[in-house]
Amino acid sequence: MAQTFVELADTLVAGFDLMEFLHTLTERCVELLEVEAAGLLLADGRGALRLVAASTEQARIAELFQIQNDEGPCLDSYRTGQPVIVSDISAEETVRRWPRFAPAAQEMGFAGVDAIPMRLRDQVIGTMNLFRAEPNGLDPSVARAARALVDVATIGILQERAVRQQELVAGQLQAALNSRVMIEQAKGILAERLQTSPDQAFIMLRRYARDHNHPLTALVGDVINGTADIAPGSRGRPRPAPRGKPERPPRPGPPPGG
Amino acid sequence: MSERAVKVWDWIVAAHEGDGPVSVAALCRAVVQRLDVDGASVTAVGGVVAREPLFASDRVSARLEELQFTVGEGPGSGQSGVRSPTLVPDLESAAPRWPGFAPAAMGIGARAVFSFPLQVGAIEVGTLSLYRATTGPLTAGELADVLVFADIALRLLLDGSSGASGSPGYRALDGMSDARAEVHQATGMISVQLGVSLDVAFARLRARAFASNYALADVASAVVNRQLRFDPDLAADSGGAG
Repeated sequence: MAQTFVELADTLVAGFDLMEFLHTLTERCVELLEVEAAGLLLADGRGALRLVAASTEQARIAELFQIQNDEGPCLDSYRTGQPVIVSDISAEETVRRWPRFAPAAQEMGFAGVDAIPMRLRDQVIGTMNLFRAEPNGLDPSVARAARALVDVATIGILQERAVRQQELVAGQLQAALNSRVMIEQAKGILAERLQTSPDQAFIMLRRYARDHNHPLTALVGDVINGTADIAPGSRGRPRPAPRGKPERPPRPGPPPGG
Repeated sequence: MSERAVKVWDWIVAAHEGDGPVSVAALCRAVVQRLDVDGASVTAVGGVVAREPLFASDRVSARLEELQFTVGEGPGSGQSGVRSPTLVPDLESAAPRWPGFAPAAMGIGARAVFSFPLQVGAIEVGTLSLYRATTGPLTAGELADVLVFADIALRLLLDGSSGASGSPGYRALDGMSDARAEVHQATGMISVQLGVSLDVAFARLRARAFASNYALADVASAVVNRQLRFDPDLAADSGGAG
C-alpha cells in the first residue's frame, strides 16, 4: 500500500502524465484492493460521464454498458455523490433497481460493485468503480484504502488541492477527456500502420512510453504528428510484466517534450 | 442524443434562416437568444477551413476577435495543443494576464468573455467565443449548454467541409454519438488509409455515416474490425458498413 502511494506520488511530480497515472491507478486498485477490475469515469461538463481508464476489457465494457443504458451503480454514485455498495449483484433488490445492468454484470462475471464518487467539495467530478468476482462487500480497512486511492485520483486530475475556480475545474476535466480521445486517435493510427488491433497498439504505446521514460501523452502527440517511431522492430528490449514500482532510471530535470 | 443535446439542436434549428444547411451563423444567434450573453462568434484556426473569422453575432464580437488577432493575446489565442475553456467573468481582473487585450476589450464594451476550443482529441478546428456587457460567471447550466454548442459547432464545420451538413434530415449529433472509443480509433485508422489529417479523416467518417444512414459508431466499428476500408483512389469506400 505504502509503496503504491510512493509510486503514485512520484508520478505527481516531474513528468506527470495524467493518463498514465490513471491507468496505473486502476491497475494498482486491482492488486491492492483484491478486486477483479477497476474503472474510472469522469464528468464531461455536459451532464454525462465518460470512461477515462479501466484495468481490463471487462471493466471497460461494464462501464460503457452503464453509460449507454443510463443505469447502474456508477451513475447513481455520480448523481447522488454518495458511495454505492452492491454486495450481491444477483440479489432481487439489485435486479429491480438496475434491470439491465444487473444481469449484464453477472454475465461478465461480476458479483459485486463498489462505486465511489470523486468529490471536490460540493462538486462530483466522476466515480471510481471496483468490480468484485465474489458476492461480499469490501473489508472496512480495504474500503478505507479504496477511498484514499479515490482521493489521490481526484487530486491527480485537478492537480492541486486549492482548485476552486469554475474555469480550472472545467478546464482540467476537459483536458483529461481530450487526452483520452487523443490516445484513441493514436491507437487507430498505430493499429493501421502496424496492422494490429487498437488494444495491442495501446499496449505497445504504454510499453514504449515506460521503456523510454517518455510521458504517454507526449508520445501520443508524437504518434499523431508522425514523429514517433514505434515499429515492431523497435519494440525494445524484453521486459518483465510490471509488478510494484516500475523500474525507472533516475532522471534529473524535466523529460524531453513533456 | 442527450436531452441537453436535443434542446440545444432545437434552439439552433429555430435560429436558422434560409434554405441552406444549418451553419455556425444560426448557432451563434441561438447562443445569444438562449443564454445570458450579448454576443457570440466562431473563428476557424486552420485544418479543413482556413484561419478566419466565420461568423459574429454583432459588431462587438467581431471586434473582439480582430483584437485578439492584432494583439496576439486573449482568451481564444492560447497555444495549440490540448486547450481548455477560458472563462473570464470579470475582464478587469484579467488585465495582468492580457495587458493588451483586456483594457481594449473593455473599451469596446465587453466586461466578461468566455472562450471554448472546438476540439476533439488532436483535432482542433476553431474557437467559440462569447462575451457579456456586464460582469458575472456563466451558471453551471449555461456552461453545460455552451459545451454542447461547442460540440455542435465543431461538427458543423467538419460536416460543412465534406458537404454532409447538406444531407436531408441532417442533425449534427443525431445517431452520431462519438462517446465510443471506436469512433476515434477509426478516425486514426482512416487518416493512415487516406494519408490525410485527422480532421479530414473524421469528416470523411461522419460523411460516410450520413450517406449510408448507419450510426457513426457502427461505421466506426466496421473500420476497426477491418470490414470497411477508406480507399484514396476510389470515390466510394470499399466494404460494407455495419
